[in-house]
Amino acid sequence: MAHITINQYLQQVYEAIDNHEGSFCAELLSFKHPHVANPRLQLASPEEKCQQVLEVPYDEMVAAHLRCTYAVSNHDFVEAYKCQTLVVQYPFGISGDYFGYIFSSLPIPEGFDDCRMIFQAEQQLLRKGKGKLGDMLEKAAEQLMGCFRVCASDNRAGIDDSKKWGMLFLINQLFKIYFKINKLHLCKPLIRAIDSSNLKDDYSMAQRVTYKYYVGRKAMFDSDYKPAEEYLSFSFQHCHRSSQRNKRMILIYLLPVKMLLGHMPNHQLLRKYDLMQFADVTKAVSEGNLLLLNEALAKHETFFIRCGIFLILEKLKIITYRNLFKKVYQLLKTHQLPLDAFLVALKMMQVEEVDIDEVQCILANLICEGHIKGYISHQHQKLVVSKANPFPLLSSSS
Amino acid sequence: MAANTTQTAPAANWSYGAAAGPEGQTVSENPEWEKARQALASISKTQSATKTAQANRTTAQAGQFQPVVTESTAIQQQQQQQYYQQWYQQNQQQPYPGYTYPYNYYYPMAPGPYGGGGYPPQGQYGVPPGPYPSPTTPTGQPPSLPVMDDQSSSYPSQPQPPPPAAPQPPPQSPTSSEQPPPPPPPAIPPPPNSQYPLPPGQNSYNPNNPMPYPNNDPNQMRGYNHNQGRPSYGQSYQTQNSYQQQQNNNQHQQQGQGQYGPGAGRGEANKNKNHQQQQPQQQGPQLWHRMKQAPGAGAMKFNIPKRPYVMTNQSFPPGEQPTGLAATPSSPAAAPATPGGAQTRPQDWPQAMKEYVQRCFTACENEEDKDRTEKGLKEVLQKRLQDGSAYTIDWDREPLPELKAKQSRWEAVPTQRTLESSVGRGGGTGGATRGRGGGARLGHYRNVFSQRSPSSSSSGSSSRSPSPSHNRHRDRNGQRHRRSDSESQSDSSMSSDLRTQLPRRNQKGGRGRGGDRDRGRGGGERGRGRGGRGNRGRRNMDDANSTVLGKKRKGGNAGLDFHDPHREAKKQSRAARFHNTKMRSEPLVLSINNLELPKEDLSWDDCPIVGTCQEITKIYLRLTCAPDPATVRPVSVLRKSLLAVKAHWKTRQDYPYACEQMKSIRQDLTVQGVRTEFTVEVYECHARIALEKGDHAEFNQCQMQLKALYKDNPSENIGEFTAYRLLYYIFTKNSGDITTELVYLTAALRADECVSHALSLRAAWALGNFHRFFQLYRRAPRMASYLIDKFVERERMIALRALFKTFRPDLPVEYVQSSLGFLCLDSCMAFLTGLGVTFFPSDPSKIDCKISSACLAAS
Repeated sequence: MAHITINQYLQQVYEAIDNHEGSFCAELLSFKHPHVANPRLQLASPEEKCQQVLEVPYDEMVAAHLRCTYAVSNHDFVEAYKCQTLVVQYPFGISGDYFGYIFSSLPIPEGFDDCRMIFQAEQQLLRKGKGKLGDMLEKAAEQLMGCFRVCASDNRAGIDDSKKWGMLFLINQLFKIYFKINKLHLCKPLIRAIDSSNLKDDYSMAQRVTYKYYVGRKAMFDSDYKPAEEYLSFSFQHCHRSSQRNKRMILIYLLPVKMLLGHMPNHQLLRKYDLMQFADVTKAVSEGNLLLLNEALAKHETFFIRCGIFLILEKLKIITYRNLFKKVYQLLKTHQLPLDAFLVALKMMQVEEVDIDEVQCILANLICEGHIKGYISHQHQKLVVSKANPFPLLSSSS
Repeated sequence: MAANTTQTAPAANWSYGAAAGPEGQTVSENPEWEKARQALASISKTQSATKTAQANRTTAQAGQFQPVVTESTAIQQQQQQQYYQQWYQQNQQQPYPGYTYPYNYYYPMAPGPYGGGGYPPQGQYGVPPGPYPSPTTPTGQPPSLPVMDDQSSSYPSQPQPPPPAAPQPPPQSPTSSEQPPPPPPPAIPPPPNSQYPLPPGQNSYNPNNPMPYPNNDPNQMRGYNHNQGRPSYGQSYQTQNSYQQQQNNNQHQQQGQGQYGPGAGRGEANKNKNHQQQQPQQQGPQLWHRMKQAPGAGAMKFNIPKRPYVMTNQSFPPGEQPTGLAATPSSPAAAPATPGGAQTRPQDWPQAMKEYVQRCFTACENEEDKDRTEKGLKEVLQKRLQDGSAYTIDWDREPLPELKAKQSRWEAVPTQRTLESSVGRGGGTGGATRGRGGGARLGHYRNVFSQRSPSSSSSGSSSRSPSPSHNRHRDRNGQRHRRSDSESQSDSSMSSDLRTQLPRRNQKGGRGRGGDRDRGRGGGERGRGRGGRGNRGRRNMDDANSTVLGKKRKGGNAGLDFHDPHREAKKQSRAARFHNTKMRSEPLVLSINNLELPKEDLSWDDCPIVGTCQEITKIYLRLTCAPDPATVRPVSVLRKSLLAVKAHWKTRQDYPYACEQMKSIRQDLTVQGVRTEFTVEVYECHARIALEKGDHAEFNQCQMQLKALYKDNPSENIGEFTAYRLLYYIFTKNSGDITTELVYLTAALRADECVSHALSLRAAWALGNFHRFFQLYRRAPRMASYLIDKFVERERMIALRALFKTFRPDLPVEYVQSSLGFLCLDSCMAFLTGLGVTFFPSDPSKIDCKISSACLAAS
């Protein structure tokens, strides 16, 4: 496959179209397929050849695809983007019986996506000063949205040929873009579309894993940790075992959520997925070592910020407070805890400018969120905790 | 387009008939030519109305080609049609040249001549009445005729040479100018009346035509026409042509000659006829009908006379041919088409392209193929011609549009072909003529025609409108036709106006399909102007409809009439179409380079404007069009404006005024593409003012702009506004944007007083550490507190809930005041009481947390 000639390639495409082998056709137009690296297919002007072999909509698609491979091989990602745009726009313009077959496997966007991400970055470098950061992505998103609408409104075709099978893929691509450009609010309608789809559970596992991954991330950013954990766990558990990189990406978001819910990852897991940045965090949180946590966060701040989880990890401080105060409670072994004791503990953790009012504030939040059962007596400057299970398990608290 | 093309095709058919006559020899090739011509004709039509006259000619020529095709099919009917077309063309052409004046004269005259029936031969032709109608259509054109005449006159010279080329009618197309005879048809229009008379006239015409043509030199013909008052002749000619065509059909090869001959003869005959025929004209219509019914006989008769003419024509061709023929048959066809459409281009067509067209049509085995090819070529060639790439493209390498239809059909189902061809092409014209001529012969045809003819014929004719004269006629004719076919006779004879009307009528009555089509084309293009355009539109519509109908009809007819063979053939053809249509006829060009990168939609940098307005103040109006420099202030003025606004703001605190002035300043800056430090200053100023007044929408606009501006214009206030942005994100609870913002925060920025404060505030806010949050709130630098004010209340509520839920049994108000950042106890009390907080009766300074908590929860 990697060394076929242009004619062989075109013949394959032709046969794939002719035989309605959507998935194979999709591969032939995908950028994940080895043919992309075939220098014999990387033509600057494949139009003529394609035109001779393929019928109208397809010749342009394939020609654009080949041109794209050529552009990519030249690291001209801007052109690659344009080519892919052509590739993508076409199939959706086709009205015909054939398209359903081809589309069901979503050949085109597949390539589109991969490429887009690459040159998106390139694009920004190329056009420094010209255009805004997300312009390219937003354009691409618009186009995908157009495709999505086509798919979503395909109510006529039978379930087997329905373009609706393309919805999830497109949604996933859109998610990628929206997450990239911080337009998470745009995800809502897409999620709703899938939720109301009766094909929801019938899409390919790969697509579902991707979908859940993004939905989980979104839930996490929305502070809906319970559903976030659910989605991300599904994604992690069903992600193909060979996709270690993907599993790692999932873990990056699953770990903070789990920790917020009281589930600490073990060392092995972190090591397996090369996520040792979390090791100190995990340790600090479980020990209630606020100081260590601050250090760990500061140390890997860049990494965490880049992953977009810094703010989530920051919330682990609350858990850390809880664990810290629990230790105070365990040390004092009484249900009436003087607030000064907590102040001392916080000061030991080198919290700046901390005073008794702040202690009360922190305690108030913990109590309010259910991490501590008890109340504060302002008059006596004491925390009175429940005699039974004053520090309920994190996983059981809401 | 498709509709047009199809329509044109029919016309082409007609013309073909004519062409075929001349080309009869080349009959086999003709089919292809016809398509090419049609395509060309359509193109030409589309290209320009002005070209109409030429186009008409071209179309007529094209029509000739088509006829040829039909001939190839060996269908007599088609041939007849073709012949007719040829006749028309010839007639038209001839008339055109000299006819303008004559027309006028003739018109009046025409009736006479027509009626004159002086053309006994016409009587014979009369048999073919069907064909005649088409001629009648030309008559409809009369108004346009003058123009046509002019053009034709010019052309004629060229065309004349072609006559010899007659066989090559297509090439002649350019030469077709000779054919200006079409103009005569226009002249005929007046004849519409004559048309009716035509039948008689036709008879005479045929004889006449042959005579003139043979004589012919187009010039001679013209002269004849002029003298004779061809206008009427034109019509008569057309009719004659049709007759001739029929005859021609019978005598394929002879047809061409005959046509030419007829043309000449017609001219003369017409003259005579016109004078004589006036009476006959009235009769004519009737005769026409009759004639139509008995086309075959008439055709036969006519054919014979025509042949000789054709021969004469052939003699002409040499002159024309040399030029046109040499180019290639296809080229001629193309040329004609282009001339009409592109105005003069047809002739200018690159040889390679002409050959290409020829190749395309030669590759066609079926009518359907040709139709497809025609459509495809029209579009392609038109584009090529318009953008000039036609002259740069390597036509030799150009892939031919693929046709899947196959010859087998031909053999198996000649009738089908004929039907299809007629229907498909013109839908109308071909069908109509066929119907007339062939209809008599074949029940099927009749049916087809009858069904199709009304819509298709008219439409088809209009679209194809190869001959200018026809077009002209169309306008008038077309309208009238629609209205009433029968009416006209008397009217037409009456006056020029009537003439015009008459043509229409004639067309209508006369199977007007052919005529209508022609008229429509010519008339529309030449523009008889108003009517013409309107007619065009209508015609087009009609055409489209007609084509559609035609197809349907075809199917229906086929099913009924020719069950097995047709069906199969049709199926194949359909399948072929499906595939064929999918193959790209035009070189695939990836429009990659046309794709614009996602730039800012309109970059003001691209069109710099320097304002000249000197007003310090200016009312802000949202721009709805390109800015006028006279209303835009240059930067120097804007600086003064900014100072004025600032001063005004400080003294009067009139926010609406300040906001408007700032917006107008911003607009002027934007319009002029000014992105300098001054711009930053303006935005910062406006942002601050907006912030102070709590106009966060305006603030956000400025803040976003500043973010972009800071990239190029570092300002000492970057930190300040970065902090504002962070705070704004807190206000909007946009954690995603905060994260993004954090990514781009440099260490230097983090060290900034404002930024570090904002970051601390953010951390406190994220952890719900209200104590620290409100501490920071009270220490907010610069104008940050204005922003924090936006969400302080929100945070206080959250904090209060936590406090009430946590503290038991009571909570001193003072603690609340200090914790929640109230500056004084009173404001705190006001806040608490506003929430309906319950205090202990015994100690008003203490809050009953339990009750208040429930109270808060309820609220």
